Amino acid sequence: MIKDRLEKMFRQSFEIEKFTEDLSIDNVPGWDSMAHVGLILAIQKEFAVSISPINALDLTSVSDIIKYLVNQGVSSK
Amino acid sequence: MKQLNEIICDAGKAATWLAYRKAAGQIRELLKSGAAKLQTSVKTAFLSSFTIDPLVDFAVVEAAAHSIDLQSYIAPYGQFNQELLNPQSELYRSSPQITFLLIEAESDSIDAQALRLGGLVDAFLKNSAGILVINTFPACSSWPLQVLPDQRRILIEKLNANIIECYQSNPRIQILDLDALVAYSGCQNALSPQMMSMARIPFSEAFLGMLARRIISHIIATLGLARKCLVLDCDNTLWGGIIGEDGLDGIQIGHDSPGREYLEFQKTILELYEQGVILAINSKNNLADVMQVLNEHPHMLLREKHFASILVNWDLKPQNMQKIAEQINIGLDTIAFIDDNPAERQMMRQSLPQVETLEMPADPSLFARTLRETGCFTRAYLTEEDKNRGQIYAAQRQRDQFQQSCATLEDFLKSLEMVVSIHPAGKGDIKRVAQLTQRTNQFNLTTRRYTEADIVAMTQNPNWRIYVLGLKDKFGDNGTVGLALVEIQPKKWRVDTFLMSCRIIGRQVEDSLVDRICSDAAKAGCMTISAEYISTAKNSLAAGFWDKMGFEKENADTKQVRYSRQLKNYQSQQFLYLKIV
Repeated sequence: MIKDRLEKMFRQSFEIEKFTEDLSIDNVPGWDSMAHVGLILAIQKEFAVSISPINALDLTSVSDIIKYLVNQGVSSK
Repeated sequence: MKQLNEIICDAGKAATWLAYRKAAGQIRELLKSGAAKLQTSVKTAFLSSFTIDPLVDFAVVEAAAHSIDLQSYIAPYGQFNQELLNPQSELYRSSPQITFLLIEAESDSIDAQALRLGGLVDAFLKNSAGILVINTFPACSSWPLQVLPDQRRILIEKLNANIIECYQSNPRIQILDLDALVAYSGCQNALSPQMMSMARIPFSEAFLGMLARRIISHIIATLGLARKCLVLDCDNTLWGGIIGEDGLDGIQIGHDSPGREYLEFQKTILELYEQGVILAINSKNNLADVMQVLNEHPHMLLREKHFASILVNWDLKPQNMQKIAEQINIGLDTIAFIDDNPAERQMMRQSLPQVETLEMPADPSLFARTLRETGCFTRAYLTEEDKNRGQIYAAQRQRDQFQQSCATLEDFLKSLEMVVSIHPAGKGDIKRVAQLTQRTNQFNLTTRRYTEADIVAMTQNPNWRIYVLGLKDKFGDNGTVGLALVEIQPKKWRVDTFLMSCRIIGRQVEDSLVDRICSDAAKAGCMTISAEYISTAKNSLAAGFWDKMGFEKENADTKQVRYSRQLKNYQSQQFLYLKIV
């Protein structure tokens, strides 16, 4: 599942209690503009996708990230 | 709250910058709150032309893995010129021991680049007493498939050669050869246009990890935390197969595979030996079998004469390791250990965590590379003593055997034909003096560590005198084995540092140095000389030394004992067994 893999990544990267699709750059402590770059790198590595810097700007919540990955053809299973 | 080891381990598993960033934050918090303590701390500063915070995150975690608390001042983005040129800058106010200046080559002109760097380096040397680390520039091909020679690459190579030539012998400057490091990883892997676009960082995430390890190497080298001794297993480590079962003709070592992997590995070990790393063997085997391989196998590069200690028996390896440390007279925390067997490694890590047990790959063809990629033997420089250390320790074995054949200690001392030379430190002694203060633990009265930069400053200060002691005997030249750093005031001299290589302790050599200092002080009209003993976990050997030398205790503290001695009518002493020049 995309969501499980994202949860593992988020737990490695940030100090969060509960993992939900509502998590975003506005409510996760430590998810700042610098960390956003790191997150894009981690997503690219984990899901073997390439994210252009322009697309990267929009991926600011877990739900956006999941939508993007599904669109890129990453299997949701 | 998670434990330090767990934090480091988790970051390594995730292997992303974001995970390292989180780990670095947690480590800083643990250290600040006092919930975790590391053995050493170091004050560093980072100046760069690109975003450097991610590199520092990696470095903080890598440093903690070496029990180093990396404290860092990070200059604001793009401010490296101002910070270096302004004597009142935050950089200089934070008084870092090591400053990393990591910059990119500007594209306009290579000559201008060299000039600019020269100006920055000069400003630093004037305004700081610390060490400066500068980088070479990656000479990557900008047009890899072009037929025409790449002029820019050629110019950058020239610039790099110029940087190395210009600064390599300056004791206050270290060169981080970024060009070599990028070439080692490959330009395509090391440099990342995407990172440049998103975060203004020229390097890929993976390369940042490697660069951080190189940063740690500079810190280890500067603080003198490198390992002194490499202890090796035998079967399937130095050669393929098991000598006790396969026999001398059956084990694999030689120019053909299987066997050449081990030859390559031995070549690498021999390179370390030539840089002054002491070698020893810790193996479960029959001693006679191992000695036969060392002395008779036609293809072995490592021979009996290379090893300062050979412990081959059926005891537990941690037990043997303690005996090796005693025999060679070094601390366990200066030893690195290599064994092909994961179970032996695990046992060593659990029983003796002070020993650095290196993780080895299963494939022996990768042994040499793995050893070359460890930073734990790294030095900022090599002294003559380093190059000869292996022979010095071999001679020590002969001395020990000779001592056992002498009837009394007096006979032994007399027949050693010792010649002591004591002289003020000259330019050529600076590296060795700094190294001795950093590496001597046992017969070290105050254990004050000084960098080369500190020692240079002392030699230029008329209020300091550095005594350097060399020793020769019938078995060879021991090199520079002792020193004293003395602060001189008109009526009062103070022995700040007094240390001696412990392999020569008990031969009156240490007494002769005290006598020289006292004589000089008395001649200069000084009335009182003061000294200290600061107790550490390792220097109990030196407790009571000042008492023995006729100094009187001035306080009742046992951790930090102050001593003094009146010098009125001081008479120089005679030493029966020493010729002093």
